[in-house]
Amino acid sequence: MRVQALENIAGGAAETSPPRKWGLLPASHANVGTAFWLMAPAIAVYGTFTLVPIAVTFLLSFTNSAGFNTAADFVGVENYRKAMQDPIVWQALWQTVIWLIYHVVLAGGLGLALALAIARLRRSQVFFRTAFFLPHLVSLAVVGVIWANIYDPFFGLLNTGLVEIGLGSWTQGWLSDPSLVLFSVNVASSWQGFGLYMLLFIAGLQDIDPALYDAAEVDGANGWQKLIHVTLPGLREVMTFVMSLAMINGLKGFATVFVMTNGGPFYQSELITTYIYRLAFQSQQHGLAAVLCILLSLFAITITVAFNRWRARMAR
Amino acid sequence: MNIIAKALAATVFLAGSAGVHAETLRMWGPEQITEPLIAELWNGIKADFEAANPGVVVEFIPPTGTISNGAVQAALQSDVGPDVVLTNSGIGRITVVKNAKQIIPLTVYYESRGWKDKIYPWLYDELKGQYGGEIYEVPDGLDALGIWYHKDMFAEHDWNIPATWKEFVVLMKAIQDKGIQPLAVGPRTPGSAGHLFGNLLQSASGTLNVGKALRGELAWDDPAIAVGAVRLRELVDAGLIKKEMAGLDLDGASRLWFNKRAAMFVAGPWFTANARKAGYDLNNAGYLPMPSDISGEAKPTGGVGWSWLIPTNSKQPELALKWIDFMLSDGIMKKRAQHAASTMLYPRELKDIQPSTPVLKEIFAAAVTGVGYNPSVYLPADVVDTYFQVIQGLISAQVSGGDGMKQIQSKMAVVR
Repeated sequence: MRVQALENIAGGAAETSPPRKWGLLPASHANVGTAFWLMAPAIAVYGTFTLVPIAVTFLLSFTNSAGFNTAADFVGVENYRKAMQDPIVWQALWQTVIWLIYHVVLAGGLGLALALAIARLRRSQVFFRTAFFLPHLVSLAVVGVIWANIYDPFFGLLNTGLVEIGLGSWTQGWLSDPSLVLFSVNVASSWQGFGLYMLLFIAGLQDIDPALYDAAEVDGANGWQKLIHVTLPGLREVMTFVMSLAMINGLKGFATVFVMTNGGPFYQSELITTYIYRLAFQSQQHGLAAVLCILLSLFAITITVAFNRWRARMAR
Repeated sequence: MNIIAKALAATVFLAGSAGVHAETLRMWGPEQITEPLIAELWNGIKADFEAANPGVVVEFIPPTGTISNGAVQAALQSDVGPDVVLTNSGIGRITVVKNAKQIIPLTVYYESRGWKDKIYPWLYDELKGQYGGEIYEVPDGLDALGIWYHKDMFAEHDWNIPATWKEFVVLMKAIQDKGIQPLAVGPRTPGSAGHLFGNLLQSASGTLNVGKALRGELAWDDPAIAVGAVRLRELVDAGLIKKEMAGLDLDGASRLWFNKRAAMFVAGPWFTANARKAGYDLNNAGYLPMPSDISGEAKPTGGVGWSWLIPTNSKQPELALKWIDFMLSDGIMKKRAQHAASTMLYPRELKDIQPSTPVLKEIFAAAVTGVGYNPSVYLPADVVDTYFQVIQGLISAQVSGGDGMKQIQSKMAVVR
């Protein structure tokens, strides 16, 4: 009945509605012009720093440009063919996927775990919140240098610590072992990122109605059941937001890899972003690098669309 | 009132004339300018140049990197970058900025300004042969990469300087038996990976074959050149070079050597700066070329290590040329060669100079008959990255010597 009433109101409103207005003023060409000029700075900035670079990148991908000082020739889809045939591109793409998963699980997971651990604290929560957030204030390049030293196989904190506590057999070549290197670098990157996710989760936890926990307790739920049936469902919106953010940050992974391994050893930590940098600014192959930028964009769009569809389905 | 007006007018005139005549030469480099010793040397040179050129101010731009990591290209691309550049060079690196038309050809000045006579004739010939007669750089210093060792450690254990490859491997085993890393390497810094590998190629194949491989006259997977890669992998498999070294950079590997947890390290004369910074006693440093079974091929590797370049968008091209004239002058070159901050070989023979440390004297002596190739600076830019990754693959035991060299060869084939 209520829905019907609303539809009636809407229908009635449509029949009798006055001419469309721009805010409080009647619509006119002059006002459209005003609106345009008010938006112009934002459009100009967006166009200059987003749309134009996208267009230039797209055009570059069809040239053999070696830099802005050179006359670039149109080479058709040659760069696309080269990219498809380059095994490093596929390896880097696959490693980017792995990197992204590591980041979501490590940084997102740690952020959630710590949020759950400190959300109920009363006096010391501010201290822990600040302490855990601090790494986020450190630049990724500095984080890379710090962790590269922690991972030093001979003098590093990790290996020497393991030896000191009698676990010498656990020491590893954290940055030299091909099966470990991507994970090791990701730990450094996630260490820098988890603080933000933790704060978001804490905010989400504070939004959950305490009455739900009381009700669960009355029903005899234990801690684990409360977590599964109250806390996690209550964090659904925050979780999807954190996952989106973590995926975007994961795709942007560059600085720690660049500083800590430069993609090595033997391409085992190469990401699409580091390979783009290498091609564009070390080899000056701007055309090929532009193709990889487009590939990365398509990859990001695909992941985002897939994630949003999954989120919509979950919401239903 | 009149006096005040005149004073004001004079001030305005002076300020105006200073604005007209003051010229600033912005220079990319030198590396480690923030080090007090290096700063002392370069500030002295700057003062000399400014005194010789009234109204000129030289401004150093501390480098954020090299051509290898794209820092120079980014600075030049900005269009507010340096007027003259001093950076790590060699054909591999120079080709990148030359192809991007970021630097100007300097060939005519070699004749008109007499630069041709201020560098070794063989060096001039080498530069002339690189781009069909066009030259884009002026060498500032040459590298001479060889093995650094601790004199006291060798004396204590009675280890002798090896004369052959076999003796070298025996020595490495003896060092390992004492619980010391025989050889430190930091391949996370690409150059450091190349220093060791270039030495191994030189030792195993000789200058002629390495030169042929660099010019594309010999395939990189040909056994005559691949043997160096095979040897590296054998050293790794025998544990004489730890796989974990693949996780070290130049600083990490240097630290291992400075702390005497490693007996040997492949580096050039520039390592004196690192050693000084680490507080290492340079009188204890010894230097030897990588032993070779080929007669006369136990020699350092290197080539042009640092060069002067003039950017296409230099705001002061004439001043940049004057600066290069100045740097090539006898007085400045000798001053630099004898200064404690000196870390390289100079591009022409300097008579009657006294290097500041004994190890530099040893390096100068080892390089007197010339140096072999360090492929890191001679390979085309598109290949050099594969080259470094293959070396990392060898040290981390991910690829065999033969397969690694095949990868380099396939990249060379594409580029050529």
